[in-house]
Amino acid sequence: MPEASEAPIPDQRVRPDERAPIIRAPDPDTTGPALAAGGNAAIARMLQRSPSGAGAINDLPRLAGNAQVARFVVQRDADVDAPPAPGGVGAPPAPGATVGAHGEEIRDAQLKLSRVQASAQPLTEDGRYGPLTEAAVRTFQASVGITPPTGVLDAATKARLDAAYAALPPPVRTELKFGATGPDVGFAQQKLNAVGYKPRLVINAVFDGSMLMAVMMYEVGTLKRFPFGTVDAAMWTALDAGVSGGFIAPEGAGATPVEQSTPSGTADALGTQVPGTSLHPVVGVGGLTKGPAVKELQQKLNTAGASPALKDDGVFGPLTTAALQAFQSGRTPPLPANATADKATWDALDKVAPGSMVGAVDRQWTEVLGGATYQLTGADASRYSWEIQKTRMLVTVKVNFVGLPPPGAWFGYVPAVWNRYMGVETATKKSMPIDFQMIRGAGGDAMTVEVKPGTDRANAGEWYAGDARAAQTIPHEYGHLIGLQDEYQLHPGDYVRVTGHEPPVGDAAGPGVPAATIAANLRAAMMARNSANARTASVGAGVKAGAFAQQVVQEYAKLPAATVPAVAAVPGPPPVPGQPAVPLTGDLMADLNNSLPNDIDRYETIQRFGYTSGSIMGDPGRVKDPHEHGAQPRHIAEFVAILGRALGGTWEAKLR
Amino acid sequence: MILRLVIADGSQSPAVAESVEVADDGALTGWRSVSDGGVGWFAGHLPPAELAEVQALVAAAGAEAPRVQPRPDSAEQVLELPATGPVAIAGIRDGADGWPALAAASRRLLGRLTDFPRAAVAVLDGGPDVARLVHRGTDPLRLDLATIAVRATGWRGYYEPAGDWSGVVRGPGEVEAGAGWTYDLPLGPVAGDTVHLTADFAILSGPTRVPVRAKHTPAIPPPTQQ
Repeated sequence: MPEASEAPIPDQRVRPDERAPIIRAPDPDTTGPALAAGGNAAIARMLQRSPSGAGAINDLPRLAGNAQVARFVVQRDADVDAPPAPGGVGAPPAPGATVGAHGEEIRDAQLKLSRVQASAQPLTEDGRYGPLTEAAVRTFQASVGITPPTGVLDAATKARLDAAYAALPPPVRTELKFGATGPDVGFAQQKLNAVGYKPRLVINAVFDGSMLMAVMMYEVGTLKRFPFGTVDAAMWTALDAGVSGGFIAPEGAGATPVEQSTPSGTADALGTQVPGTSLHPVVGVGGLTKGPAVKELQQKLNTAGASPALKDDGVFGPLTTAALQAFQSGRTPPLPANATADKATWDALDKVAPGSMVGAVDRQWTEVLGGATYQLTGADASRYSWEIQKTRMLVTVKVNFVGLPPPGAWFGYVPAVWNRYMGVETATKKSMPIDFQMIRGAGGDAMTVEVKPGTDRANAGEWYAGDARAAQTIPHEYGHLIGLQDEYQLHPGDYVRVTGHEPPVGDAAGPGVPAATIAANLRAAMMARNSANARTASVGAGVKAGAFAQQVVQEYAKLPAATVPAVAAVPGPPPVPGQPAVPLTGDLMADLNNSLPNDIDRYETIQRFGYTSGSIMGDPGRVKDPHEHGAQPRHIAEFVAILGRALGGTWEAKLR
Repeated sequence: MILRLVIADGSQSPAVAESVEVADDGALTGWRSVSDGGVGWFAGHLPPAELAEVQALVAAAGAEAPRVQPRPDSAEQVLELPATGPVAIAGIRDGADGWPALAAASRRLLGRLTDFPRAAVAVLDGGPDVARLVHRGTDPLRLDLATIAVRATGWRGYYEPAGDWSGVVRGPGEVEAGAGWTYDLPLGPVAGDTVHLTADFAILSGPTRVPVRAKHTPAIPPPTQQ
């Protein structure tokens, strides 16, 4: 949940550069190939030859036929020659921005003020010019001789800040060879993943056979050189030019070390859609007969050539019925002319009419957190609508509140968190605020939420009237209502997919206990169903989230199969339910989840081996991140894409 | 045993760890870690009519429970019947028939449990600027009151936030709470017509120290419909 605006957040990650990320589809498979078993024969031969030998050169075309190399070749063409792009995006700041100002340029200034260590602590990059930002501007002005220091981000101050940021030294990189360990190894792994190496490397900060393969592929495919298997200065230069982030920078006056996150692929913050389901609700006979979904249908039928053209009034009347039947029967092969816009009909309509000015979504989705699966499907599916109006896009969730009436304040908490962005068309700079609202209502296009008395922990369908943290809880749960998944205790592949960042390197060194020992101790704790022992073996041993923890995950996966015996219920306290026998799968988080009691010891143990964001959909109570505060652009990406389909052009999310 | 329900959630502190069990003769026993009606042990007997209702729901539920994944952010709920063994029911919504009806009844039993305190401690509004821990039931229990985290949330009207206060009270350490025992906790000023209270401390059970949260969250009547 979000913290107070601009709250200082030490010791966390940062996203330094907002250049457009390299577009690569993330691969959830994190099992890297072992060189000995899966090494490319051509590479092996080349390693035995002179770097300048004709044989090596002759082998390059063969390597270029390798899909992996081909990706790197494309990568080079697209990215390596591009100049590094420090700094932010968007229009230059308004003259004299000061307390109360907001927007992308303020966020950019916050980023830079932290990096040039003008702020007392790393600033929360929320794009809101508050007293901490003002103090940092004042400090910066004094440090560069701007007198008197006004705390106003005027043009002169902005220019000096940009210059100071541009003058920051690049990260110091070490040459890496097979067998190397440490954070730089992890950062190189991040970047190799980000530029498209597959299967994805585990971010374990160990230069192993899998990484060696990736390095050599990159050398051949991108650097066009003999594969030495070394991440040297030239390769670091190319990797750093191609992918931002991937180093630790001091931030704020206290030089708080903050890991700079590495963008990777295109974030998809939505829950995983249930295969075979449609994102459209069923409309017409047997389905919705009024509202935004009908309006969308009418608009798309018109685009598809309905004659006479329909009035898009959102009412499924005789004319709409006839037009729908005509569309259905006009397909090749024809669809059943049943006047029901089902998945097949919507699929056909979307092909001929991808855009509309209004729409409704019925999203069936699942998520896996900490090894457990959750879902919003069937009657609980996420249902919401959107409309592109003259001056804004409005996203609406209609909620059928049952039980107690919802407190009025809840309806204000949603826009307070979610109404932070606008879509901006990159060429024309046309902008469109994207507003979110929660309204009461009933019917087939409404979600049901039960409002209960008391103060228990809310979930996506049960909210508590006395929730003292409702200002954070309700916007988080609202995120689920618009199809967003949670962002805590994620597997590495899910973390990349959801956030568009590589998993952080975090703690690469570990506590000095071999990863295999910790894995074995965890296995023993699971066999005994003892969560306290699991916590002692991990948290207690000094394991922190990050690269070393992933070494434990890998060592655990190597352990022989086993089954945890069934146990009877324990009355406690605390009580523990009876559990059936659990076959261990080798997936550490899933096995911890399935074998141990659901208590704090288990939760904190799992927390060490997964990844969590600090955004509104993450767990900001445990993971504070100055650059992942509240709603993020990825959370509204679906609606930005809709703007593009409806209005044309390329749209992106910007802070207002 | 007719049924046993355990609800657990380790993502928050103190962890949710609640249980209720109904025996063949209607004996109702259980434990609450995070509760309005007190935290600790509870024991009593269901009236015959209620027992018959539970028995009928169990009989009607059948041996095959629907497998439904829970909604995001849900706690774990495991219902155990003699015929089925432990069954995860967090994904089963309350309903009128079959397993949904049984799940709903089981969840209600957790609330019903607090009508039968055996050795429990609740927190109550002790007057201006005071939250009062009170013993409930017949049996004593040992508490660790070295530090007690207290939070008061004020509401005006229908759950309109009016302010809150939180603090840590240094208590007397380990104590035994028996019949008639109370302990007052000072509060800072909190505005509002209604005040909700929570007090975090620990119950000692043999060598085990169980963190708990006693809650006082009186319901606020909904506004009158116009």
